[in-house]
Amino acid sequence: MTSTHPTAQTLDIIKLNVRLANGRRLLRDVSLTLKPGEVRALVGESGAGKSMIGKAVLGILPNNLDISEGEIILEGAHLNAMTPSTRRKTVAKMSSLIPQDPLTALNPVRKIGPQITDPLIRIHGWSADRAMKRARDLLDRVHIRAPERVMASYPHELSGGMRQRILIAAAFAPSPRLIVADEPTTALDVTVQKQILKLIRELQRETGTAVLFVTHDMGVVAKISQQVTVLFAGRVMEDAPTQQVFEAPSHPYTQALIKATPTLNAVTKSFSPVPAELIAELHSDIAKIDAAYDAGDRA
Amino acid sequence: MTHPIQPAISDVPALFSIRNLHLSFPDRAHKPLLGPAPRIEVLKGISLDIPKGQITGIVGESGSGKSTFGRILVRLLDPDSGQVLFDGQDIGSLNETELRPLRRDLQMIFQDPMSSLNPRHKVSRIITQPMKRYGRGGTRADAIAALGKVGLPPEFAERYPHELSGGQRQRVGIARAIALEPRFILADEIVSGLDVSSQAQVLTLLGDLARDMGLTIAFISHDLSVIQYLCDNVVVLHHGVIVDQGPVQTVFDAPQSNITKSLLAAIPTPEIDEDWWAETESF
Repeated sequence: MTSTHPTAQTLDIIKLNVRLANGRRLLRDVSLTLKPGEVRALVGESGAGKSMIGKAVLGILPNNLDISEGEIILEGAHLNAMTPSTRRKTVAKMSSLIPQDPLTALNPVRKIGPQITDPLIRIHGWSADRAMKRARDLLDRVHIRAPERVMASYPHELSGGMRQRILIAAAFAPSPRLIVADEPTTALDVTVQKQILKLIRELQRETGTAVLFVTHDMGVVAKISQQVTVLFAGRVMEDAPTQQVFEAPSHPYTQALIKATPTLNAVTKSFSPVPAELIAELHSDIAKIDAAYDAGDRA
Repeated sequence: MTHPIQPAISDVPALFSIRNLHLSFPDRAHKPLLGPAPRIEVLKGISLDIPKGQITGIVGESGSGKSTFGRILVRLLDPDSGQVLFDGQDIGSLNETELRPLRRDLQMIFQDPMSSLNPRHKVSRIITQPMKRYGRGGTRADAIAALGKVGLPPEFAERYPHELSGGQRQRVGIARAIALEPRFILADEIVSGLDVSSQAQVLTLLGDLARDMGLTIAFISHDLSVIQYLCDNVVVLHHGVIVDQGPVQTVFDAPQSNITKSLLAAIPTPEIDEDWWAETESF
């Protein structure tokens, strides 16, 4: 049923292409690996396909997209070779999502408690008692005072920062091998963002969970990740250790993204948008690559 | 935590002089069965001068009262008490009829361009409608000229908001505001929904326009790193009180309040720095 892959990686994506029904590619030969316990940032501008990679792994892309081309290997399991139901179960057991918008991600008419414990019971087969205890511990761990009261509350009774902490607790509760964090701090203000990042980092280190961290903010990349994949128009521009990316970015697009990020360092104070000429140049490169790809496709 | 009030943050003449401004909202969640709801004080006695021809940053966390304060400046909200002197005239107590001649002078750029641009109107109409309303022209050529100022080509006049990217929509919002040649613009979190590159474009554009046109702008943000690039002065709000203010570089180099320090420490700068994690406030 499931072919296994002799690998020590948590996640291995090999030449993944995502296409619209008309054949247009949204992801172009994306490859990346994620080691156990590692945080890899996926960074790029709106439309670069960074969220799409996370969604492709979790199998939550819209049905009209074709993701048959390329391999996604999660803990040795070849996801693309599986039947949809096996794939769903495998992914649910091994991974969690921390979504961007904490308001829409929680069911407004259910209490917080069951929203955390349900997956533990249904997917992971835990007893209700064990799931309740775990939920309480995790809420405590994300600094929620009075976890009992919060578990009996509805989402609208809680602040945005609190809801995001609840979603983090829920994501870490089953100790998954992989967490996809899809811009988890974009909706928050800077001080809360820092607290949330710190929580993710601590829990991730404690549990050894690997994290695919989607963000558009090079500042967040510098703080949270060990590895970086820089994306532009669904194509990997640079894949390198975070340290290297900030000390010596090799791709001009990476350099431009860093320059577009505000810094507080008064000495190197410079701040400029990604140059339009660079964008045009990258688009024309991609058009050439697509033309060659389409020609190969027909052959 | 309260600091002595120093209304003069700059030696440039003030366009706005705000004195001892108070505002409270009814707390409906705690309303008793009978009688009025208790009130939550949002602004607790703010005194501030906003210098003419400069960009003043207003910073604070969620709930600090920064947007509420901004909305009083453009008189979308009425203060409970205190003075709001706009060029010497107290606009805090004017009624809607008396305010009408001033409306054109007080413009606003909104956080979410999708909900602040009419989805059924083309960009040209979005820009020219207020111009016609205030008798400031409103021809197609005017729309194209306004688009030109924000770096958008003439063909954008024929587009609808949904056909634009987030950064382009925000430029249309700026074009609509500056086309009226207002004396004051309130920009409320206008880049927080944009990715870094669009953010850099919009900020650079706003900075250039402000310089070229001598605009007076109040720029509300929760992100001090953005303020540093754009603003001349900065005011830090916390729970409805001013905790820090002055020229941007002074406040950044020597923050007076712990609130300012923690806002500065929370900025994820694009540098590898393990020490960044050291000072994180707990929940």
